[in-house]
Amino acid sequence: MMVKRKIIKERIPTPERPVEERLKGFMEVNLGYTFELAVQEAQRCLQCPYEYAPCIKGCPVHIDIPGFIAKLVEYKDEPDRAVKEALRVIWACNTLPATTGRVCPQEDQCEMNCVMGKVGDKVNIGKLERFVADYAREKGIDDELLGEMLPEIEKKEQRVAVIGAGPAGLTCAAELAKDGYHVTVFEALHKPGGVLVYGIPEFRLPNEVVEKELEKLKRLGVEIKVDHIVGKTVTIEELLNRYDAVFIGSGAGTPRLINAPGVNLNGIYTANEFLTRINLMNAYRFPEYDTPIKVGEKVIVIGAGNTAMDAARTARRLGAEVTIAYRRGEEDVTAREEEVEHAKEEGVKFEFFLNPIEFIGDESGRVKAVKFMKMRALEEKDAKGKRKIEPTGETVILEADTVVIAIGKTANRLIVNTPGLEVEGGVIKVDENLMTSIPGVFAGGDAIRGEATVILAMGDGRKAAKAIHEYLQKKAKESA
Amino acid sequence: MYKILEKKEIAMRNIWYKVHAPHIAKKVKPGQFVIVRAFENGERIPLTPVMWDKEEGWIGLVVFTRGKTTLRINTELKEGDSFLNIAGPLGNPAPMEKFGKILAIGLYTGVVEVFPIAKAWQELGNEVHTLHVTFEPMVILKDELEKAVFKHTVETVSIDPNKSFPENMKNVTARAKEKVREMIENLKPDLVFMVGPVGDQKAIFEVVKEYNIPMEVDLHPIMVDGTGMCGACRVHINGEVKFACVDGPSFDAYTVNWDELIARSGYYRDLEMKAMQLYMEKLQAQGGAQ
Ligand SMILES: Cc1cc2nc3c(=O)[nH]c(=O)nc-3n(C[C@H](O)[C@H](O)[C@H](O)COP(=O)(O)OP(=O)(O)OC[C@H]3O[C@@H](n4cnc5c(N)ncnc54)[C@H](O)[C@@H]3O)c2cc1C
Ligand SMILES: Cc1cc2nc3c(=O)[nH]c(=O)nc-3n(C[C@H](O)[C@H](O)[C@H](O)COP(=O)(O)OP(=O)(O)OC[C@H]3O[C@@H](n4cnc5c(N)ncnc54)[C@H](O)[C@@H]3O)c2cc1C
Ligand code: SF4
Ligand code: SF4
Ligand code: FES
Repeated sequence: MMVKRKIIKERIPTPERPVEERLKGFMEVNLGYTFELAVQEAQRCLQCPYEYAPCIKGCPVHIDIPGFIAKLVEYKDEPDRAVKEALRVIWACNTLPATTGRVCPQEDQCEMNCVMGKVGDKVNIGKLERFVADYAREKGIDDELLGEMLPEIEKKEQRVAVIGAGPAGLTCAAELAKDGYHVTVFEALHKPGGVLVYGIPEFRLPNEVVEKELEKLKRLGVEIKVDHIVGKTVTIEELLNRYDAVFIGSGAGTPRLINAPGVNLNGIYTANEFLTRINLMNAYRFPEYDTPIKVGEKVIVIGAGNTAMDAARTARRLGAEVTIAYRRGEEDVTAREEEVEHAKEEGVKFEFFLNPIEFIGDESGRVKAVKFMKMRALEEKDAKGKRKIEPTGETVILEADTVVIAIGKTANRLIVNTPGLEVEGGVIKVDENLMTSIPGVFAGGDAIRGEATVILAMGDGRKAAKAIHEYLQKKAKESA
Repeated sequence: MYKILEKKEIAMRNIWYKVHAPHIAKKVKPGQFVIVRAFENGERIPLTPVMWDKEEGWIGLVVFTRGKTTLRINTELKEGDSFLNIAGPLGNPAPMEKFGKILAIGLYTGVVEVFPIAKAWQELGNEVHTLHVTFEPMVILKDELEKAVFKHTVETVSIDPNKSFPENMKNVTARAKEKVREMIENLKPDLVFMVGPVGDQKAIFEVVKEYNIPMEVDLHPIMVDGTGMCGACRVHINGEVKFACVDGPSFDAYTVNWDELIARSGYYRDLEMKAMQLYMEKLQAQGGAQ
């Protein structure tokens, strides 16, 4: 349906909550498109042919992006139908669009090489994807679509255990359930969702979005057992006795610390602790909620990834003055563009080329300042394409009564210690089918990549589900 | 949801719960703990299964009324109610070896952690002497320990109603130090093990150190997830950062950075007091404080 149409160079903006209002609470910052605005943005897409479209190539799960965008335009007079058809296209590759539409680093993926970029702004693919998912959720269209799929599921006898209820595990579970397998998810925490619930704050990803995903799983017949720590409550070996295959989606749960004096002073949090207290345990509502947190007046966040931005913006909402200190330069910030912009709008300060070398405490053992080594960039680049840095010898001390360390994470240790499970560089080793060194045990997401992205975790979950399906079919044939 | 099959006050401020938790009963070993979340707006707190039954699928917990969460559990949860979440077992089991003669010390409700470990050590062929130092009305597990180990000693301190609770606690510390010194001199143990408030752990360690006897302690830093994910429970052990929930909770007392641990354990004291006070006011308004 190639229609000749006028090129609209500028992006249709998505409304955002004003800064003053944002800082008062945890309400979502970006308000998303209305149907009318979404259609206008959809009309900007040039509808590149499927085989060529650079957006599809840039998306790690290869969503037919022009395909879903076309549905919005095609049925623009029937919003419900437009959304349903668009969702059908998206679901073929991605079952968590409300999440990925919000949190994918679109500028490095689907939107990176969008053809529209040559003449104007790139198409706002992320926000369109999010719109489809949100509209569908609000109107119950996703339930309807799922309802149509359910009767087609042919129940199978085989059982699969999934470890971890983050995006990797949840996706793998959903796909396997759609293939008819009995799936049980084992989750260590009291609430499923992984980083989506304990890490990413509500102002970026409201809880209801994740809850809806979980409901979907329930309808697919997936059982989620919370409070079950694999490696402690039950071992992988035991799971293999009771299930025909196992998928590990246990994430990168171990926070990295800075090896500098004073790192255990009070007031120094890992980003995981800081965000878990606030997002999972609602400490920002203490004493209505029992878990406490202390966010002082001056907060320093160390690191410049998504986690650092989330911690910084959270601290701003709790009234603190916040500085992000990063050992490299601005061009090497790894967080999504949108988060960096939002952080700046919200008054987060940025200091570059500062590497912490000592945490200084008061007599009570609480941090009061951080000593940094000033760094400088060299021309030479490292393996990741970032400019190498070296100390200048000059130091600087910044005051802080709270410090959040957000410099990354490695794989969950309880899983990594499984006998027979090969691990390399702190992550689980897998073959091209995502099978680990233990036959029948597959893995994906941050557990095999280190801290990566939601969409890669999801993509792994989906790929592993396919591999598990093939593995189980082969197994069934062999035993028949 | 984990149903409370039995609730009983076994001593002042010490409440016993028999809880249906088959996934934990099947797996728990002496030295391990669980993380409990009792209320929708509640905290996750670590507690220790003191005994359990694999076949019947229950674990026994003793909750000492300390701050808001423990008071709230002990006040609001009734027999037949349920804990929302119990995750575990967490932490590493205590090392089960033949050490020889062991002195295992519990202060206050710390004896809950001592019991399963001491019992298992005795069964393994060690000669286990246990010592429980606490206030007079707070003695627990006396019969059980007498049956389980070579010799169980209870030392009680009476509560002086004219003094504050922290003042009274100093007497327990002093008595514990004296008694430990005496028992070390008499018994010459090969290993000392101790559980109790971190300040007391340090105080007792200083006594044990004089005799140069190996000492293990179960550490109690503040925890959130208990699975190694948050780092709240981190302590310096021999100059290296360890997470008590996955690397411990048991450590060699000679390697612990005690002052850091004491400071970390007290970080939220002002907020804890505030929460406690608000809760007490609420209870008084309802006319139902215990
Ligand atoms: C604060 C923060 C912000 C982020 N922002 C973005 C963003 O904007 N965009 C983006 O794409 N990515 C972002 N990421 C990264 C992204 O969230 C992760 O890459 C993604 O969640 C990985 O998914 P996963 O399923 O592999 O693991 P997780 O989401 O980590 O889920 C793993 C689950 O397994 C459970 N588990 C662990 N061990 C066990 C065990 N032994 N037994 C049972 N259960 C276990 C955990 O409790 C958890 O629920 C962010 C990460 C953080 C921390
Ligand atoms: C491994 C381990 C095993 C334990 N076993 C038992 C047990 O069997 N029975 C028992 O009664 N108590 C046990 N505790 C202690 C128990 O967890 C605390 O008494 C409880 O968390 C106090 O909560 P509160 O709200 O009542 O008191 P608060 O007023 O909030 O705190 C009082 C003090 O308890 C400590 N504390 C508070 N929150 C936590 C937390 N989340 N994690 C650890 N410590 C905390 C702090 O030092 C604090 O100053 C154990 C602790 C650990 C670490
Ligand atoms: S899943 Fe992510 S990368 Fe793929 S189209 Fe959606 S927003 Fe873009
Ligand atoms: S590259 Fe851009 S213009 Fe082309 S189909 Fe994709 S979104 Fe549309
Ligand atoms: S309690 Fe979170 S890492 Fe130990």
